[in-house]
Amino acid sequence: MSLVNLAHVCSHLQNASKARLGVTSIPVSKLHVRLMLGLQKEGFLSSVTLGGTTPPKPFILQKQPHPEELEKMADTLKEEPWNAYPVERQNPLGKEKVHVEHVPSNPARRRLWLGLKYWNNEPVLRNMKLISKPTRRIWLNSEDLGKITRSREAGFVKGLTHPGECMFVTTDRGILEARECVERRIGGMVLCRVW
Amino acid sequence: MSVCRPARCLFSKTPSLPKPTPLHHPRSFHTTLPRPARRRPHYPNIKASDLALLNAAAEESYPKYSTSETDLLRKKYTPSQIAAIKAAESAIDPRDLLTQGQRRTDPWQLSYEDDLAEVDPVTDHAPKLKPSDIKGPKDFREANMVERDEAIAQIANENLAKMYPNGVPEGQLSPEEHRKLEEAIEVAMAQAAMDPRTVYYSSNPKAVESLADPRHSVVLPDLPRIENRVARQTRRLSTEEEEDPRQKQLLKYLGWDKEKLRSIRVKTLIVHGVTNQTRMGKIRSLYYLTIAGNQDGLLGVGEGKSVEPEEGRKQSVMAAIRNMRPVPRYENRTIYGDLEKKVGATKVLLCSRPPGFGLRTQHLIFEMARAAGLQDLAARVPRSRNKMNVIKATWEALTSQKLPDEIARARGKKLVDVRKVYYGGSVY
Repeated sequence: MSLVNLAHVCSHLQNASKARLGVTSIPVSKLHVRLMLGLQKEGFLSSVTLGGTTPPKPFILQKQPHPEELEKMADTLKEEPWNAYPVERQNPLGKEKVHVEHVPSNPARRRLWLGLKYWNNEPVLRNMKLISKPTRRIWLNSEDLGKITRSREAGFVKGLTHPGECMFVTTDRGILEARECVERRIGGMVLCRVW
Repeated sequence: MSVCRPARCLFSKTPSLPKPTPLHHPRSFHTTLPRPARRRPHYPNIKASDLALLNAAAEESYPKYSTSETDLLRKKYTPSQIAAIKAAESAIDPRDLLTQGQRRTDPWQLSYEDDLAEVDPVTDHAPKLKPSDIKGPKDFREANMVERDEAIAQIANENLAKMYPNGVPEGQLSPEEHRKLEEAIEVAMAQAAMDPRTVYYSSNPKAVESLADPRHSVVLPDLPRIENRVARQTRRLSTEEEEDPRQKQLLKYLGWDKEKLRSIRVKTLIVHGVTNQTRMGKIRSLYYLTIAGNQDGLLGVGEGKSVEPEEGRKQSVMAAIRNMRPVPRYENRTIYGDLEKKVGATKVLLCSRPPGFGLRTQHLIFEMARAAGLQDLAARVPRSRNKMNVIKATWEALTSQKLPDEIARARGKKLVDVRKVYYGGSVY
């Protein structure tokens, strides 16, 4: 669990959004993957894809279902909207088109490709900063996290005072957002703050 | 040098040399003035002996009425009025009058030294008459045509008599005089037609008279125009007020009226001289930076520069009003979360604060927050404190805030405002 690499990822994402990139890649590690999935869940990233040295095929260039099929699908959904969530082995909407991305067998050549988001000509992810440092890791309990999410300082960590600020904590239940940690009453090592 | 000399010096006294007086603070460590050794009371103590003197002085300057004076008063006033005067005088201690009383010297002072013989239209109530003051029956009805014509003729005659106290001119008249007379008759007739005495008829002539009496009217008479030097000088006519073409243009641009423009709070925060070096020499001019705000979520910053000081200031004021931009405010008192903005080497950190915190910021940001209508704010300027850049950075930060709704929309999240749910929605 190298925080040095995480620090590189943080500054890389800031630089990428400043440069208004649509897609960028970071080295793969379990920590990075879980954190990026957390970021995607919070809505900072549009996509997280494992791939090789070349970027994955964008959605528009992937194989799409035939327009007639799409129309049929829309009609079915209009009649029975619950079919959007199909049960096992029964899909009245037809077979789902799945795009398979080639992942190199050599782990050193794998990259994690991230889709960055922009809204009103402004990047959604603007700032991403490490809280625990490679030389000084910070563990917080759920009480302290509660104070921090209420924009108070606790355990030498500044509160989440910026509008829409998020903090990610690595716990024994995985990497969670600080507010979720408070809800589930678990503490852990704080990784980074994003806003 | 002899041996006994130092001994003589030791044992001898030098009465001519004064001893240095021991000082409590031989050296002052600060620039504030030292407090006097004995604290003086804020007000002079009044001793019993002084009080006797005060009594005597009061007795002298505000003496009681002598018997001859009361006799004189009795001639002029009724016993009840005299009793009122005496009660009023006994209510005020002459010693208080002497120690605290002051005479007004301002031009708007009321003439208090008055024998109350005349009704002053400014200080006194206008005289009023009650319906019971009308003697005789108070019946009336609407006048018919004949009565109305009679009344008009009579009142017009009265009015004409007022206009010509020496009698209406008769015989051969010059065209000028003739025209004047005709005009006067016309005015008299018009006034008579408007008179309420012509509309109603009553068998009691006193009741008819009361219709035109202002003492019976519910409408108070107009206050008289004060005519003195100060009033004349301070009086302003609407024609005297000059129209600024720049202001006119601004009003047209904003679509506002003058009243709205007057409600804008404008303050010039920075003034300094600048020079332009040309081959002919230096051209000095003045730079102005002004902020404008309506104290309700609008804030503008404007700059102006001119050789003429007043011109530059006006330029900056107009630019500030034209540049006004909305400042989003949380609960109309503070900002949405912390803000950071960097302009040049100046960085401004603005922090939202709970209600009642106040504006604990440096003076420039304080003025801007006041103009924008923010009440709770904390700020830090950790780096360069260049005044112009501080103002510009604060303005940019305040006007380019990201709202929670917008952030939620950008992240594809659903946001619900629960402030309206708690405490029955009475909290904002």
